[in-house]
Amino acid sequence: MRIEADYDRCEGHGQCEARAPEIFELDDHGFLTHHYDGVELPAELEDAARGAAAVCPVAALRVTGAS
Amino acid sequence: MTTTATSPQYDADVYTDAALLEPYEHYRALRELGPAVYLTAHDAWAVARYDDAKAVLAAPEVFRSASGIALNEPANAAILGCTLASDGEHHAHLRRIVAHRLTPRALRPVRHTVTEAAEELVAGLVARGSFDAVGDLARALPLSVVPDFIGWPEEGREHLLRWAGANFDSFGPLNERARAALPQCGEMAAYGAALVRDGNVLPGSLGAGVLEARDRGEVTEEQAMMLMLDYLAPSLDTTISAVGSAIWLLGTHPEQWDRLRAEPGLIPNAVQEIVRLESPIRGFGRLAARDTEIGGVAVPAGSRVLVLYASANRDERHFADPDVFDVARPEAPEQLGFGYGEHGCAGQGLAKMEVAALLEALARTVTRFELGRPERGLNNLIRAFSSVPVRVHTG
Repeated sequence: MRIEADYDRCEGHGQCEARAPEIFELDDHGFLTHHYDGVELPAELEDAARGAAAVCPVAALRVTGAS
Repeated sequence: MTTTATSPQYDADVYTDAALLEPYEHYRALRELGPAVYLTAHDAWAVARYDDAKAVLAAPEVFRSASGIALNEPANAAILGCTLASDGEHHAHLRRIVAHRLTPRALRPVRHTVTEAAEELVAGLVARGSFDAVGDLARALPLSVVPDFIGWPEEGREHLLRWAGANFDSFGPLNERARAALPQCGEMAAYGAALVRDGNVLPGSLGAGVLEARDRGEVTEEQAMMLMLDYLAPSLDTTISAVGSAIWLLGTHPEQWDRLRAEPGLIPNAVQEIVRLESPIRGFGRLAARDTEIGGVAVPAGSRVLVLYASANRDERHFADPDVFDVARPEAPEQLGFGYGEHGCAGQGLAKMEVAALLEALARTVTRFELGRPERGLNNLIRAFSSVPVRVHTG
């Protein structure tokens, strides 16, 4: 499973960071850092990734390849 | 496409005074009836369940905002072309021009301004001991922050709350409240147009940014007029509603206030929970661009669809014990009170910042909110108290 971020759509609301700090981080300027960009998520982070996608207020996160 | 043979219907007018004051039993009935329920009184399909509401908001190419936001044509015509009531590339373009100033990213530098304003306001009110949590607290902060931020000149500000309320009343069905509101929406539009014509906005503000975009040819004069209003009306009543509800909820649930005082880190989550439980915006409309379905219910092209945020946020299919106020509720950030997706509230960063700043300031000194008799306002779109008398206890 992967989680894709649409960087154009991201406005830095930070909900993903609160839900999945192991995957997402906002830098000092409020821009998104995605620690698993373009790579498979470890199994133990799959729930956090789903949660992050669910709370993004502008629907900028998409879970792909979920079994 | 799977569709049900008969579509569920609901005959009650959900915009009567009684229904606006006590909407939650109507919402429960609508959720029970199905994923999309035809409102015979309003010629619209209510979407009252969480999953379906979110799915509709996530499909803006099918469920359009242009001509779709309000439940009546005159209001839809009046707002056509503003960011709220536009779609696709046009919407993305308008949103880029203004919304980037409202993102949490852009707001980082104003955080201290909001925090200071909140602290000063709260200190004055706590010293007084008793005050109206709506008139003195909830209205004061947005009015001290938002018009400056948008760049409205001092003159004309006295009309802002009346105009903003009218703007939201106009979005309902064409009932008496909406009819009375439409001329006032016209006044507001005329005022915004004059601001653009005369360039009468504060330097460095969001409004000044709109005029610069016009000067660069990125938006037309007419679009600039719409953009001037786009972010003003929605930034006042909504936040005011949330703050009034916050004090009422925390006054009626003292154990939740104790919890927030003990763990101020929960305040951002509490703000989400307040918006979930007492959603300031009841819901917004959409227009079905083609024959489609919502949760298996067939919805024909041209149908009005009413996405009920306030019902989705109490959907027992998504939220455990949805009527319970719990500042630590883990799924509170999933609430749809700010909408969702492309049209998700652009000002939510500012709104959350304002409410949290007030609660943080209050949490430092206030131990109890002793409530008087609250009064509700009546608005087609906004759920809010018009007055919440409170005496605060400290120490």
